[in-house]
Amino acid sequence: MINPAGHVGRWTLNQLAVGARVSVLMVETMAWMVVAPLRGKGLRFKAAVESFVEFGVRSLPIVGMICFLVGVIIALQSSYTLEKWGANRFIATLVAVSALREMAPLMTAILITGRSGSAITAEIGTMKVGEEIDALEVMGLNPIKYLVVPKFMAMLLAVPCVTVVAMFIMIFGGFFASVLVVGVDPTIYIEMTTQSLVEKDLVTGLVKSIFFGVAICWVGVYRGLQVEGGAEGVGKQTTSSVVTSIFLIIIVDLFFTVLFYFV
Amino acid sequence: MMMGNNQPIIVVEDLVVRYGDRTVLDGVSFEVRQGEVFVILGGSGSGKTTLLRNLVGLMRPASGRILIKGEDFTAMSEDDRIELRKKMGMSFQGSALLQSLSLADNVALPLREHTALEESTIDIMTRIKLELVGLGGFENYLPSELSGGMKKRAGIARAMAMDPEFIFYDEPSAGLDPIVAAGIDDLIRKMQETFKLTSVVVTHEMESVKLIADSVCMLKGGRAVGVGTLDELERSDHPYVQQFFARRADDESEDSAYAKALTGLE
Repeated sequence: MINPAGHVGRWTLNQLAVGARVSVLMVETMAWMVVAPLRGKGLRFKAAVESFVEFGVRSLPIVGMICFLVGVIIALQSSYTLEKWGANRFIATLVAVSALREMAPLMTAILITGRSGSAITAEIGTMKVGEEIDALEVMGLNPIKYLVVPKFMAMLLAVPCVTVVAMFIMIFGGFFASVLVVGVDPTIYIEMTTQSLVEKDLVTGLVKSIFFGVAICWVGVYRGLQVEGGAEGVGKQTTSSVVTSIFLIIIVDLFFTVLFYFV
Repeated sequence: MMMGNNQPIIVVEDLVVRYGDRTVLDGVSFEVRQGEVFVILGGSGSGKTTLLRNLVGLMRPASGRILIKGEDFTAMSEDDRIELRKKMGMSFQGSALLQSLSLADNVALPLREHTALEESTIDIMTRIKLELVGLGGFENYLPSELSGGMKKRAGIARAMAMDPEFIFYDEPSAGLDPIVAAGIDDLIRKMQETFKLTSVVVTHEMESVKLIADSVCMLKGGRAVGVGTLDELERSDHPYVQQFFARRADDESEDSAYAKALTGLE
C-alpha cells in the first residue's frame, strides 16, 4: 500500500465488517435456537444428535489417546524438577490440577477443531460452492436453522462432555507414568490426587470448554459461509478456519485463566 | 402454445441491481403470464442469472419491484417470503442436490420440513416425482452416483416436490450433450403442460428457446433489449437481437475496442 494511513483505515473497516457479519450470524443462530422453538418452529434434534455423535463420540479415541500421552508427559516433566526436592508425590497434584484447569480442555478443543471445526467449514463451504445453500433458501428452509443450529447445539454439548472424559484419562496417564516409571506408591498418588482437587478446578475447565465449543463452531460456520469460488476457496477457508479457531481458543483460554486467577 | 389465462402473475418493474458500484441490471421490466414458459435469454455477463436470483429472492434489488401474484416480493416479511417460496421450485445450474442425501431424501426434504404428512405418504409422493422426471428406481442413489443429465432431472423433481405454481430453471441445458439437453427441454414443456406451471427459464441456448419459449426477454449488458413472443423478437430490428438469432460474432470494431480496453494500447 502506498498510503499507510489508508491501509490502516481499510484494514480497520474490513475487520469491523467481519465483526458485523459474525454478530449477525450469532444473533441469527441464537434466534433460531432459542426464540424460534418457543414460537413452535421446531428444532432439528435428530441432526443435532448425529452431529453430537460425530463431534463428540467419534473424537473420543483420538482425544483419549492424546490426553493419556499428555498425562504421561506432564508426570515425567514434573518429576524432573520435583525429584530434586524428594517431592515426587506432588506429581499427582500437578497432573490433576493442570489436567482439569488447563490441559484437558485445551487439548480437547484443539483436537476437535482439527477434526470437526475443519469439517464444518469444508461441508458448508462445499455446499455453498454447489449452490446447495441457495437451494435450501429457495425451498424456504433457512440455512441457519437447517445447518448451523444443530451443529451449534451438538458442539455446545460435545466439547464439555469429551473434556470430562479427557480429564480422567489425563490423570490416569499421569498415574500410569508415576507408578510405573517414577515409582510413586499408587495409594499415595490417588490420595494426593483426591486431596488436591476442588470443585472450582472442574468448573474452570468446564466453563472454558463450553466457550471453546462456541468458538470452534462459529469460526467453522463463518469460514464456510465465506467460501467463494471453487475447491480452492474451500481449501483456503478450511485452513483459515483451523488457524483462527486455535487462535481464538488460546485467547478465550487466557481470558478465563486470568478471570479465575483473580476470582 | 399458450396455456391458461393471460393474467400477468409475475411483474417486474424497473429492476435495478448493483454489485458495489457496478450496475448489473439497469431498469429491467417485463411480465410473465400465468401458465406460460417465459425465457430470459442473454449472453454471458448479460445479468440473466442475477435476474433469476432476484426473482426467487436470493438477492434483493437496489430499486424496482417484483410483484408475484400481486404482492411485492422484495418488500415482504421473512415469514411471508417463506410462505411464497413454498409455491416456488427452482432447478439450479449445477442441480444443487444435497450431496449427503439420497435422491429420495432430497426430494422429500421440503415435504418433511414444510408439511405434517405421514412418512408413508411422503414416500409415495417422492416416488411419483422421481417417476415424473424419468428417475423411477433411483430413489436410493446418491447425487454423486448420477450423470449430469440425471442430476438435472433430480433437481427438477425436487423443485416439483411441493407442487409449486412457479418453477425457475437456471441454464437447464448447460453442460449437457445435445440429446440429453433436448430431453430436458421436453421435460420443461411436459411439466408446464401437465401442471399448468408458470415456468421461467434462463438460458443462452437458442435451440432450446425455439422449442420451449412462449415469451422471451432478451438481456444485454443488464438491459432488456427485447421483450415479447419469439415471433415478435425474430422480427425485431434491434441489431443485438438480430445478431443473437443469427448467431453472428461481434463486429471487428467492437473486438478492437475490447482489445484496446484490455491492453491499454492504441
